[in-house]
Amino acid sequence: MTAPLEARSLSLMREGNAVLDDVSFSVAEGEIFALLGGNGAGKSSTLLTFLGFLRPSAGEVLVEGRSVHANVAAARSSIAYLPEAASLYGHMTAYENLEYFLDLAGRKATRSDLDSAFERVALAEEARSRRLQSYSKGMRQKTAIALALLRETPILLLDEPTSGLDPVAIDEFHDLVKALASSGQTILMVTHDVYGACQVADRVGLLRRGKLVGSFAAEPGRRIDTETVHAAFAEREAA
Amino acid sequence: MLRSLTRELRFLRRDRGALFWLALAFALSVIAVSFGIAEVREQRATIATLVEEDAADRANALSTQQDWGGAAYYAFHLTYEPPSDFAFAAVGQRDTAPWKHRIKMLALEGQIHEADTRNADFGLVGRFDFAFLTASLAPLLLILLLYDLRASERTARRHDLLVATVGSPRSLWLPRATLRVLGLAILLLIPLWVGAMIEGASPGVVLQASAIVIGALLVWWLIVELVSRIDASPSVLLTSLIGLWLALAIVVPAISKAAIEAANPVPDGGEILLLQRETVNDAWDLPKDDTMEPFVEQYPEWREDSVIDEGFEWKWYYAFQQVGDQTVAPLARQYREARLERDRDAGLVSLLSPTSFVERAFEKLARTDAMAMVAYEDRIRDFHEDLRRFHYALIFPKVEYDAARLEDLPQYDPSR
Repeated sequence: MTAPLEARSLSLMREGNAVLDDVSFSVAEGEIFALLGGNGAGKSSTLLTFLGFLRPSAGEVLVEGRSVHANVAAARSSIAYLPEAASLYGHMTAYENLEYFLDLAGRKATRSDLDSAFERVALAEEARSRRLQSYSKGMRQKTAIALALLRETPILLLDEPTSGLDPVAIDEFHDLVKALASSGQTILMVTHDVYGACQVADRVGLLRRGKLVGSFAAEPGRRIDTETVHAAFAEREAA
Repeated sequence: MLRSLTRELRFLRRDRGALFWLALAFALSVIAVSFGIAEVREQRATIATLVEEDAADRANALSTQQDWGGAAYYAFHLTYEPPSDFAFAAVGQRDTAPWKHRIKMLALEGQIHEADTRNADFGLVGRFDFAFLTASLAPLLLILLLYDLRASERTARRHDLLVATVGSPRSLWLPRATLRVLGLAILLLIPLWVGAMIEGASPGVVLQASAIVIGALLVWWLIVELVSRIDASPSVLLTSLIGLWLALAIVVPAISKAAIEAANPVPDGGEILLLQRETVNDAWDLPKDDTMEPFVEQYPEWREDSVIDEGFEWKWYYAFQQVGDQTVAPLARQYREARLERDRDAGLVSLLSPTSFVERAFEKLARTDAMAMVAYEDRIRDFHEDLRRFHYALIFPKVEYDAARLEDLPQYDPSR
């Protein structure tokens, strides 16, 4: 069966430096794969390669079995992307932002669809008609998550998705991500939050200086052990 | 595409910055067209007043005359170049070249050039009219509307989300930019169209003018598009684009103007005037044959009547006026040719500057360019020649004075 997301011997050079070096992994349908790494590990570059913004210097990335760079637009249409500290339009309300971005994606949503998404991300009703320039960072992130939900794509790419969220919102977000995966959505998230990754992911990959240096999978009925991953992460970073 | 345009129209309606620049474009266009209409109306009113006063003045002067020479001497004749129906959009050379002259039967070239103290010139950047707005300011507005379409999204860290969501970047940036360019074009053109209707400009001219505006905006759009693809901050892009605008709108025209002037020296109008006056004044002291011989070379039909018997005869007087023109003819021809040569060179150089190109194209449409003003001077010469032939036929054969025959005096017709 074709994996919705696959990196095959992916290497990426930028300005003479190896950003990714022979990275291979795949993410199965309905799976949550978290790439863990410190600053400059190549996490965001991996996501941007799947989105077609960066072209591999060797290897390839595939979305639903098709090479991303053979048809970037097709790959993007299968992916909802939540960037780190997603900056939506401050001069527009949450409703207007979602309507605009959904229109960009070629989708239409009713007001009740939007409200339903806002309720899932726990964005207060009174805030939805306010301009985003008055929002906290967490509220903006919730709006962006609502957008990702409404895209209803088979694949979700999350870049530091809990950045700016309070602990309660992080727990709610993790529940939401798990629910999305249960409904068949394939999720690739990159983060440096070891605890969050272990709590939500089915598999965790350790990325260090562009290399995939370790991988941990959850046992049936159990989450990945945070201590083990943390120790491995710290050890690799210290090496 | 229609769906993308509708989406971006809704987006644009919420973009206060873009709306401000578009509103400013509309306001400037209204002002430019209003200024233009006011200016041409004032010129038309001036001409109407002068035509009326000129006729009355001439009738008054002629009513007291007793001979043909006096009638020719005391009667002034107004010549003028009325503004075209589209002149409101480009006042052009009418600011620097005279568009009205009152002439009389004396030597002509001095009368044409006496108002010229600094040479009528081609204007590369003119007054605040629609042509100036379109040529010089509209590119700036376009730059302000487009320069940071991508860069501002990058700065706001929204670029990747936008592109990842839309799939193909072209589906986002093309409609977003198209709408701004289209909006700018329409808001610039609406006042022009209204002005053209008020002034009764021909639809063909308005169509051509609209095409020029759209063409100019498309050229600048291309320039902005190429520059804004550079991965730089909005401020760097804006600085680069303003620099390009300065180069293409100010520096290139200014350097070209200086080079063209140096390459095509135009004699000073004052030189023509002075030489002609000296020739005419000197003629009083010269043997009459020295005047009459060159005169009959030009008008051999009056050879038999060119003998001067008395101390003063009008035909001698008008002959030395004629010879005054003959003397300065090479200088006047050089003046005319150099102006046309400068204009031709400026036309070639304008291919390097969209600003100059647009300004010249508008002046051509409005018939306010250097060619139109030279053509007006040629019409004055033709009319003056008609006057000479009319009066010579009465003065030289010594026809008995009959004021009624002055009703056949040639009338200046600006449309001829």
